[in-house]
Amino acid sequence: MIQKPTNLSSMQSTSRRFFRSHKVQQLRGFISQFFVLLLSALIGSLVVFALLRLLGGDVAYILLGNEATQDQVNSLRSELGLDRAWFVQYFDWIKGFFTGDLGTSFSGSYEIFDQIGQRLIPTLLLAFGSLFVSISLAIILGTYAAMNADNAKGVVTDIVSQVGTAIPAFWAGLILVVVFSVSFGWFPAGGYVPIQEDFWGSLRSIFLPIVALSLGITSVTTRFVRSAMLDVLNEDYIRTAMAKGCTRKRAVFVHGLRNASIPVVTVGALQLGNLLAGTIVIESVFVIPGLGQLLLTAVNGREVIVVQSIVLVILLIILVMNFMLDIAYGLLDPRIRDKRNGANHG
Amino acid sequence: MACLIQGFVTNGMAPIMAEQVHNKEKQRLWVKFSQLPATLIIGGILVGFLLCIALLSFVWTPYDPIAMNVRDRYLPIGSEGYLLGTDRFGRDVLTQIIMGARNSLFVSIISTLVSLMIGTLLGLYVAAAGGRIQNIISRTIDVGVAIPGILVAMVLATAIGPGNLAAITAIIIWFIPVAARVVIGPAVQVLSQDYIEAAFGYGRKKWFVLFNHVLPNISSTIIVQASVMFAAAILIEAALSFLGVGAQSPIASWGRTLKEAQPLMEIAPSLMVVPGLAIVLAVLGFNLLGDGLRAYLDPQQTRKR
Repeated sequence: MIQKPTNLSSMQSTSRRFFRSHKVQQLRGFISQFFVLLLSALIGSLVVFALLRLLGGDVAYILLGNEATQDQVNSLRSELGLDRAWFVQYFDWIKGFFTGDLGTSFSGSYEIFDQIGQRLIPTLLLAFGSLFVSISLAIILGTYAAMNADNAKGVVTDIVSQVGTAIPAFWAGLILVVVFSVSFGWFPAGGYVPIQEDFWGSLRSIFLPIVALSLGITSVTTRFVRSAMLDVLNEDYIRTAMAKGCTRKRAVFVHGLRNASIPVVTVGALQLGNLLAGTIVIESVFVIPGLGQLLLTAVNGREVIVVQSIVLVILLIILVMNFMLDIAYGLLDPRIRDKRNGANHG
Repeated sequence: MACLIQGFVTNGMAPIMAEQVHNKEKQRLWVKFSQLPATLIIGGILVGFLLCIALLSFVWTPYDPIAMNVRDRYLPIGSEGYLLGTDRFGRDVLTQIIMGARNSLFVSIISTLVSLMIGTLLGLYVAAAGGRIQNIISRTIDVGVAIPGILVAMVLATAIGPGNLAAITAIIIWFIPVAARVVIGPAVQVLSQDYIEAAFGYGRKKWFVLFNHVLPNISSTIIVQASVMFAAAILIEAALSFLGVGAQSPIASWGRTLKEAQPLMEIAPSLMVVPGLAIVLAVLGFNLLGDGLRAYLDPQQTRKR
């Protein structure tokens, strides 16, 4: 009954097997993810560029005011390079962005690229510091809440996280400054000590901002960890582990955490965007010379190139993190990886 | 009691039975009420209170919101005539908070409604499109969700100048992918049901099916999402006006009141407490309402958790 495969079809199936093999599929997934990353960055930069050009009106007019003559406006336009075609301006910007030459700001007070580079460090310290703090805390608190879901301890954790979600980071920052800087004098009320100059002083200066930023993110993530953990706790393998003699705690920490970590990683990476946005506000509260402060001054001074460059930097950070998240998924859960790559585990 | 006895004399047992039935009805209502999720009740009360205050501001505020009274500057909370004290211009803080509630709700209601409408339409379209279109738009939406609203607001503020318009537009742009993503999943699920196939078999057009069969079945998801988006909109509105990118003077806003209080933190720290608490209570109210609605509208899902 079973037909012997002909030579041709067996060759086909070999090549098909090659293309369906694990490594190749993984590589293909990787490449397509990377392609999505590039495409998103391209579209994002174009949208930002177009928004600022179309809605923004003529920067030269805004800078010179209403009383400027047409000649003045024209000479400023050519000086700033605004009289060139839009795609020339766009490619010039993108080229400058990657080669490190974005020119000086309209007010002429700083080199845009160098300034962004300097300002990036405190912002990244704040964002990743709070990401680390809040994810670690959230895993602990969320697991605690899930294990105590049916008693008072869990309810208290729930209420605290619910309230924490509602507290805006900048208000938390203001209150922290009033309590710990103005009243107790334990921490500086604002400013930033560069980390390369004084490590401990630097940590002291970013401690309160990180606490303020982490509060909301920790609360949100705790709620996700809790519900992910509750789902996991109902799974058969936890019961099996406990039937084999594991304690409940051990079952949760050994088998539960890795399974619950997938939603946590998703939320954590999605929070990075919120965190970077949060740093903009927090930098304003604590007067930290980061990207956010630069962005705010640029917005008020209509520094179009500065705004679009900073937005592109933040966009790239978010996109790269999402890209890494997609890879992390596969490492955390082989099922997702195989499903995405079309392999069949049966 | 007297009336009851009288009723007993004239009509025999009937009124007592009626009374009992009435009591039972009352009891049943009470049981029904007490079975409502606590989050729904607390959230409802907070949100209702906020709405009342915002509506009240149209007809009455304790003082003229922009009137300054230099003699009564920096009065503490609980001063006579000024329940929540006064700020550095001698303006009544309670009035500022009430006017701020109006602006906060104005921004969040408009932005949430508009973005929910556009997002739902987009989500329904994508869910029904299937294939490559669904794939591409879903990916775009995933990227869109990751972009923070404040960033969008910054770009818009540079382009069209700071103000409520920039804030509202930014929140709408930020929310559209969020709303669409929430709609797509449940919509795809509903679209795979037999009754949808039946409707198509009956000769119904795509959008007719989407509006008459899919939309009602995912409405609870959308309602819950609306509540969560309200909360997020209030938070971001406050953040934007704190940064000076949102509502401009003389429009009162919680965020701007906080900004004005920041340099005074050593002289009058209490000025910072009240607007912050207002934000927290408003956001908490909408968050709790969302949680409660989810538990009430979709009990199975919640019980599983």
